[in-house]
Amino acid sequence: MKALAAPLAAALLVLAAPARAEDVTVFAAASLKEGLDAVLRPFRSSRNARIAVSYAGSNALARQIEAGAPATLFIGADADWADYLEGRGLTVAGSRRDLLGNALVLIAPAASKALVKLEPGVDLARALGSGRLAIANPSAVPAGRYAKAALTALGAWGAVERRIAPTHSVRGALALVSRGEAPLGIVYATDARADKSVRIVDVFPESSHPPIVYPMVRLKGSGAATGELAAYLAGPDARIKWRGFGFRVPPP
Amino acid sequence: MPTREELEVVALSLKVSFWGVAWSLPIAIAAAFVLARKRFPGKTLFDAAVHLPLVLPPVVVGFALLVLFGRQGPLGRMLEPLGIVFAFRWTGAALAAAIMGFPLMVRAIRLAIDAVDARLELAARTLGASPVRVFFTVTLPLAWPGLVTGALLAFARALGEFGATVTFVSNIPGETQTLPLAIYTFTQSPGQDAQALRLSILSVILSLAALALSEWLVRKRSGAVPVHG
Repeated sequence: MKALAAPLAAALLVLAAPARAEDVTVFAAASLKEGLDAVLRPFRSSRNARIAVSYAGSNALARQIEAGAPATLFIGADADWADYLEGRGLTVAGSRRDLLGNALVLIAPAASKALVKLEPGVDLARALGSGRLAIANPSAVPAGRYAKAALTALGAWGAVERRIAPTHSVRGALALVSRGEAPLGIVYATDARADKSVRIVDVFPESSHPPIVYPMVRLKGSGAATGELAAYLAGPDARIKWRGFGFRVPPP
Repeated sequence: MPTREELEVVALSLKVSFWGVAWSLPIAIAAAFVLARKRFPGKTLFDAAVHLPLVLPPVVVGFALLVLFGRQGPLGRMLEPLGIVFAFRWTGAALAAAIMGFPLMVRAIRLAIDAVDARLELAARTLGASPVRVFFTVTLPLAWPGLVTGALLAFARALGEFGATVTFVSNIPGETQTLPLAIYTFTQSPGQDAQALRLSILSVILSLAALALSEWLVRKRSGAVPVHG
C-alpha cells in the first residue's frame, strides 16, 4: 500500500494541477480544418502556446458550448449559430467579427464526367441517376442550410429533397463524394480544394444563398491568451494564409 | 403519443433489426453447432473470427463494410447487377446490425447446444435417424431457449446499433435513420432535447418489450417440452 502511495499522489497532483496561464480551446467549423491547422502552426511554435482545436458542425459545437464545454473561442460557419450563442449570453460582448468568407460548390468524384450548370430550373435529380446527393444535414449544419437555400432558390430542392444523404458536417459530405459513394455533393469551395479526389462541377451563384461568413467570437471565461489568438487569426500574416486556402478575407 | 415521424423511425428500426436477425440466424445456428460439436484444425481461429465484431470498435466494422460493400467496394460492385444494393439502403443497416449481433447469437446458441445431452442424440442415431434428422428433431428443440435468447439478444443489439450503421450507410431519414441515429441527430443541435428525450423513452420501451418477450417465449416453451425428462 505504502509503495503505491507516492506514485498515486504524484499522479493526483498532475491531474489536479491548475491550468498554467490559460488553456485556449477553439471550437471551429469542420470546413476550417486544414486552413486553421496551418494558420495556427507558426503561432503555436512562436508562443509555445497550448491550443486545442475541436472541429465539428457549427450546430454541434454550439450545442456543446451551451452544455458547458470549456471552449474559449468559437468560429462558426454561419451567422445563425453565433447569434444563438450571443442570444444566450455565452459570448464576450463586442468580441465578434466576421473572420472569413467562402463559396458554395457542387462537386463530383474526380473521375466523374457529370456536367451540371447551376441555373434556375436545374435538373439535379437526373444528374444524380440512382445515386444520392451528399450534403450536410440541411436542418442544422450551416453547409446544409446554405445548400438547401441555394437549391430552393434555383427551384431544385423539391426534386432532390428525398434523394439527399445528410451528414453531420460538411466534411462528411465531402468524404462520401471523395470515396465515390455519392455521385454529387455540395460543399464549400475550400473543401473541394482540400481534396484531390473530387472536382468542382459548378459554383452556386452568390445570389442563391445567404452570404457565407465565418463569425469568430470569444466565449465567456476566456482570457488574454484567447484575445491574442483572435487578433492573430484576423491579422496580416494569417490573412495571407487564409487566402492561400481559398477563403475570402473581408477587409479589416 | 408518438408522432407519425417517430413511429416511422421505430418501424424502420424494427424492420432493420428483424431482417438483420432473420438472415443471420441460420448462419449463427450453423456456426454454433460447428463450434459446439466439431473438431477441426483452425477452430480457434474460426472462433476468434466469429467473436471479432464483439471486440472491435463498431466504427471499424462499419468502415470495413463501407470499403467492401459500398458502391465502389469489390463486393458491392459484384452484387449490384444482381439487384443487391447495401449503400445508403436500409438493407445496409440490416447487414451492419446482423454482423454486430452475430457473436451474441452464436454464443447463446452454442452454450445451449453444449448443454444438450449427447446421449439423447446418440440414442436417436441408434434408432436409425440420420444426423440431419437428429439435429432438427432432437438437438434444435432442446436448444430452443438458447436460440430464443440468442436471437433476442442480437435483436436488442441491432436496435441499439450506431457506430457501424452511421459509418456504413450514413444517416438518411426514412431509409437508414434508425432510433439511435435519430436520437443522435437531435442531440446535435441546441433546442431539440425534447425530441431526443421522447425517442429515448420509446427506445427504453422497445428494449423492455424485447426482454419481456424473450422471457415469455423461453418459459412457454420450456414448460411444454420436458427437458432431460
